[in-house]
Amino acid sequence: MNKLGVILGVIVIAIIAGAAASLSALPSETVNLDMGRTHGTISTAMGSPILGDPSAPITIVEFGDYQCHQCYNWFQNTKPAIVENYIETGKANLVFVDLAFLGRDSPKAAQASYCAEDQEMYWEYHDILYNFQDSKIDGGWANSERLKAFASNLELDMDLFNSCLDSEKYSKRVQYNIQQARDHGVRGTLGFFIVGPDGQGQLGGAQPFSVFKQVLDKMV
Amino acid sequence: MLVGLLILSEYIFLEPYVVGHIPSGTEFRFVLIVMISALSALVLPMNIFRINILKKSKQKMGGGVFGSIIGAAAGACSCGPIGFAVISTFGSVGATATAFLTNYEIPIRIIAIGILAITYFTTVKSLKTECKFDSNS
Repeated sequence: MNKLGVILGVIVIAIIAGAAASLSALPSETVNLDMGRTHGTISTAMGSPILGDPSAPITIVEFGDYQCHQCYNWFQNTKPAIVENYIETGKANLVFVDLAFLGRDSPKAAQASYCAEDQEMYWEYHDILYNFQDSKIDGGWANSERLKAFASNLELDMDLFNSCLDSEKYSKRVQYNIQQARDHGVRGTLGFFIVGPDGQGQLGGAQPFSVFKQVLDKMV
Repeated sequence: MLVGLLILSEYIFLEPYVVGHIPSGTEFRFVLIVMISALSALVLPMNIFRINILKKSKQKMGGGVFGSIIGAAAGACSCGPIGFAVISTFGSVGATATAFLTNYEIPIRIIAIGILAITYFTTVKSLKTECKFDSNS
């Protein structure tokens, strides 16, 4: 009887411990990635969530770095028109893939964006990074403290965000994205692939809206 | 040099169409590039003329070449292919150098314009002296 009691006790403790462990696992520990997601020849599985209608006929794949000034110029001057005319109208969608090479804070900023994605705030965090970009590379504007401050501004769960950022949970994801860029011949930021029903084309640099319009209108 | 710098600094794009574009907020950088190119176009040929035709010292040429190179390098190796190649090849040292040239692009270009301007005036002065006809001979 005693033996049976001990065995039952061990089983009950094991079940309770298992249940406690599964309940205490943070939501951020699970990563919901569609590993098969590709656009044209590019694997965007590790890239950003899709901005816009996922079933839009055209996908703009943007390779960028949060510390790149040209990326900032494009974000401020060209992207709003693309969002207004193509993404919000369902003609195109956009995926951001990191080519974080400019300084030691670049990969960290990219990782932080995915930590925000864990709380479904990727694009809000992405936008805040570009809006607060400073002119100096590695000048401290994207160090860990500032990245956490940006998250705090967005009222993210700071325990989740901090543990994600400090553990470098998304380090390999960012490295994978950089490798995607290299594999596709992207040699610097900005780089774009416009993937349409009839194939894909490449655009380099922070080109004006007029160029995107000509390329996209041909594909729509 | 002007066209090259404007392409590197992404004011001119060649593909898929030839297009020029000055994003808002980058006008001052554009003006600095034009000034460096204009001064280089004046200073370098004048010094080449001095050295080749008048067989004078190459000292002043050094200032012009130095000013042109640092003026061109500043900002040219930022996020673009040159910066990417430098960082890929030299790693963290390349990244530090690229970051320095990008972060201090405007002061470096202003210094380069200063060097080129000084070289221009000293070259003009020396050319006036060296090219003076001796009416007695």
